[in-house]
This record gives sequence, structure tokens and C-alpha cells, in this order.
Amino acid sequence: MSKHLSQDEFFTALTALFTTQKQTQKGTVLLSQKRFSYDESAKETPEKQEDDDPLASLSTRLPPAPIIIRATNAKSKDHRKEGRKVKLSTLVQPDELDAFYVRYAEVCKAGMSGLKPRDRTKRKAKEKARRKMKAQA
Amino acid sequence: MPFYEKSEDWLHHSSLLLAARPSTTRITTNYHLSPVRRTPKDATPEQIAEDAKKGMRGHLVITTFDPKSGASLKYKTSKAQEVGRLVQMLGTLAGRAAGKVEETRENKEEGADVEMTEAGGEKGESAGVESGVATPAVVQQPPQAGGGGGGGKGKKKKGKR
Repeated sequence: MSKHLSQDEFFTALTALFTTQKQTQKGTVLLSQKRFSYDESAKETPEKQEDDDPLASLSTRLPPAPIIIRATNAKSKDHRKEGRKVKLSTLVQPDELDAFYVRYAEVCKAGMSGLKPRDRTKRKAKEKARRKMKAQA
Repeated sequence: MPFYEKSEDWLHHSSLLLAARPSTTRITTNYHLSPVRRTPKDATPEQIAEDAKKGMRGHLVITTFDPKSGASLKYKTSKAQEVGRLVQMLGTLAGRAAGKVEETRENKEEGADVEMTEAGGEKGESAGVESGVATPAVVQQPPQAGGGGGGGKGKKKKGKR
């Protein structure tokens, strides 16, 4: 298991992941986020309460924990042997979340360029029609 | 394993699932890129070139999954304009999973309480000092100006209880 990257390293690696995907014109970027509960005590207590009373976790306050963000190119075992599988992970503390997600959104927006852009043809057609009307009047 | 029509519905149900099982629920974002038309293996070079011109198509699938209950909530889109909003949603859900939202709210409440009690204590102390100085003169007339501090202190405490 590789160590967690710092946030800066994570973003540069993620950008690289998106660019390689763009160049090959196919493939997957799989991102995942989860409450980081590797610590056994943090993992066990809420679940035990859940077993006793399903609503217990709603009433008891959740202790703050970092969020782990993972990114991978979802390559199979064969690629793993060849070293083409990429796995990244980073930890984000609760107070850093806002700043992290601003950057995360930027990277994702830039990276996911294969999605359909907003369809502006209708609006443009309307504007043209309006201009024509003005020109005539 | 429902696919939601609207991202708002997905957010709502995901936040409920996250509230129920904060420690096991994970959210995955799958961005998949594939050619618009799959080129057959026995394609001629012309066909390959033609298909390459058509470019590629991307899809984004967001899944909230809880391995313990097996619940899996999905939302699929292919619109670029939604990416920013979806990542923002991921951020809010991450904040809840981290125990951040509740914590800040309670911190504020606690802070307010602490401030109030501290303020009350200071007032009480200062009033005590004042009354200590003023008592010899106006012990039997608390409502008057000199003993006002001491009288006020007593009244405040009763009000709090």
C-alpha cells in the first residue's frame, strides 16, 4: 500500500491521470471519497451503537475525522504487473475541506473535457432572430 | 440500485444514507471515456480514420455505496456544466462525513454559552466589588443607585435559574 500523497502532489498526479486519458482517448478515472476510519476505535464505536439502536448514530455527534480521497485509472491485474496501474490517495482534514474542494472542482472541470458542453445553439439562434427584428424596425 | 433523474434527489438520499452510516459509506465518481463508435477489429484504415474523427464521448457516474447495507445510489450525466455543481455536492457530503458541519454548529453554540456565562460571571464579580464598596452606605435600600449593582446581580441569578 502506497503512502498518502500531500494535496499538491495529489492534484498534479490527478491532472496527469486526466491528460493521459485524454491522449489515449479512452479509459476511466475513478475517484472515491470516504470518511477515514483506519483507527479501530473510531471505526468500532458508531457501528456498535448502530446495532443497538438504528437511530443512535443520528443523535450522537460524529467525531471529526479526515476524509480520504482516492483516484485510480481502474486498470486490471495485468496492467498492475506492468506498472501501468495508477493509484493515488490523499487525506483531507475537516478544516481543509472547503479549500480542497475548490481546487478539486477546478481539476475535475478541466479534466472531464469529454463531456458534452452546454448547448448554446438555441440561444444563439434567438439572439440572431432578435437582431434581425431590430434591424428591420 | 436506483439511478436518480435529478442530482438533487441523489444528494438528498445520499446525505440520508451518510447520516445513517457515516463510517462505511463511500462515494465514487467514475469518469469514463470511450470512442463514439467502436471500431471493429477487421476495419480498414479508412474506417479507423473515420471513427477517430468522430472523437470520444464521456460519461460521469456518481455512486454512493454502503457495503454494510448494500445500498447503492447512482446518478449519471454526460453534461459538462454539471461537473462543478456535482463536485460541490461531493464537498458538502464530505463535510458531513467528516463530522464537520455538526461540529461547527455545536462549537458555535458552546462558544455562545461560554461567552454568556463568562460575561455573567464578570458582571457578577464587578457588581460584587461595587456592592462591596457601596454596601456600608446603602444596605437597606437595594433598589437605589448605589446598591443597584448588587441588587442586579441577585436578580440576574434568579432569572437564570
